[in-house]
Amino acid sequence: MAEIFDRLLMRLILAAFVCLMIYLYRYAHVIFYPTVKRQVLKTINPAENPADTLHLFSRLVGIAIIFSSISFNESSGVVLSLFHFAVWGTIAIVLYLLSLYIIESIVFYNFDYTDEILKRRNMSYAFISLCHAIVIAYLTRTVMMEAENSLVILLVLWLYMLVIVGFSVKYFTYISKLSFNRLLIQKNLSLCFAYGGFTLGAGFVIASCFDQEHYDITVYCIQVLLKTILSLIIFPIFKKGLVYIFPIKLGEDRGHEGHIETDMQSLGYGFYEGSLFIAGAILTTMIVNRIQFGTIYPFF
Amino acid sequence: MYKFFLYSMLIILYLGLAKALSPSEIGVHYLQNERAFAKLIKSPSSTVILVDTHATGFLIKTYYQKYRIISGFDSIEELIVRTNKEFAKRNIPNIGLSVYRKSDTKEEFIPLPPGSLYLNNPEFGEWKPNKKGQIKWRFSKSYKNFPKYLGWGNFRPDLEFYQQMRASVSQLKPFYGPNNEFGFDGEITRKNFPHFFKEERLKKVDLKTLLVEYFQENF
Repeated sequence: MAEIFDRLLMRLILAAFVCLMIYLYRYAHVIFYPTVKRQVLKTINPAENPADTLHLFSRLVGIAIIFSSISFNESSGVVLSLFHFAVWGTIAIVLYLLSLYIIESIVFYNFDYTDEILKRRNMSYAFISLCHAIVIAYLTRTVMMEAENSLVILLVLWLYMLVIVGFSVKYFTYISKLSFNRLLIQKNLSLCFAYGGFTLGAGFVIASCFDQEHYDITVYCIQVLLKTILSLIIFPIFKKGLVYIFPIKLGEDRGHEGHIETDMQSLGYGFYEGSLFIAGAILTTMIVNRIQFGTIYPFF
Repeated sequence: MYKFFLYSMLIILYLGLAKALSPSEIGVHYLQNERAFAKLIKSPSSTVILVDTHATGFLIKTYYQKYRIISGFDSIEELIVRTNKEFAKRNIPNIGLSVYRKSDTKEEFIPLPPGSLYLNNPEFGEWKPNKKGQIKWRFSKSYKNFPKYLGWGNFRPDLEFYQQMRASVSQLKPFYGPNNEFGFDGEITRKNFPHFFKEERLKKVDLKTLLVEYFQENF
């Protein structure tokens, strides 16, 4: 009984410590987003600006995803466990916020956070930020797990991941019929669902490329690169195939381009494109990672 | 058209990088034909015995061969090479045979029973009568394990075997023994290279058997 109670106590202490780390994260967030200082540091009113609430709390979801990758080892002592969590939690927070800052600088190079969220309350912008937050968190988590407590490997893999994500987000303009900048200015929700599906799909694919055994960092990076290129080859096959299997009708009168434009900006088209991206990406990960070709060695 | 070009470039890039960087492509030599052994085998008095052959792939097959390299002055090595379809198929009857030999003065490419390089060479042994009075080849003490490495088992060549072998070489014909004891159908080879002749490797499975086995294993 005493042992069970001790373990429960330890869990409670660790839960409190994780809360403390998230409290620290709240202040770290201000470093990268100085304009939100007023909103973050005082009591938040979600009804006042839903876009800002979504933007801020999506990052909280992200940091929770990353924290879930850090493990406690009770056998090495509580103090050391807490110290380990504090060190790696801080590294995770810094890398996560830095990744988000870099990726959002690439994607929203024409947009400003203050204008879109605080002034215009652009929900489309906030939803895209939510997708970025979740995907970056998931990828940072994958990279942290692959690094296996090695800071050097973590930095190498994190930079590598950032380069791949940076390229992948630019890929959207090649495969989507929606105009990103124009529709984002219009606060169009079709775009945010299509782009959200694309980002989540890309996240699945990249995470699956990183998720493999590694003994040598060079060979590992080569394998990740090869898998990424292979995914780029496989994904369009599923995209085209799904469009062919589920054809859609755009506009009542195909002679009028305006009808097509209106239909493409509808929520339905956003769901359609977003779903295709996610489904295609998941199927791509299956083709890239789940086929075992075996080796010659069982025979030789 | 632009997208098609981009996609083609992506495929070329993938194939190029995979070929250049993939670890599975590094370390396995490609053997065009038996003449390519000259680059791989450096040690003199070496004989190269084909031990195993295997094909992988679905539509485009990759052929692998495993060789045992026995040298008079070096330790025994195993060599796995990739090769082409024509060479792989041509050599299936030559399992267990020496397909390449290198002596101090020359190279030979005609498939012969293993160890033929060392017969009649006084550096490696001598012709000696056995208990029954038959004159057989006997390796000297330093090479007493050679019959095991060569896959002879209890077989020991006699002078007639040697003469028939040399006659076959002079006619540029492969030699499988006076009674076809060596090679794919040879009794001695089948006995001494059991891994290649395992029943499950040689049997051809029909679709029905395959499905029955699948359901038995999985459900």
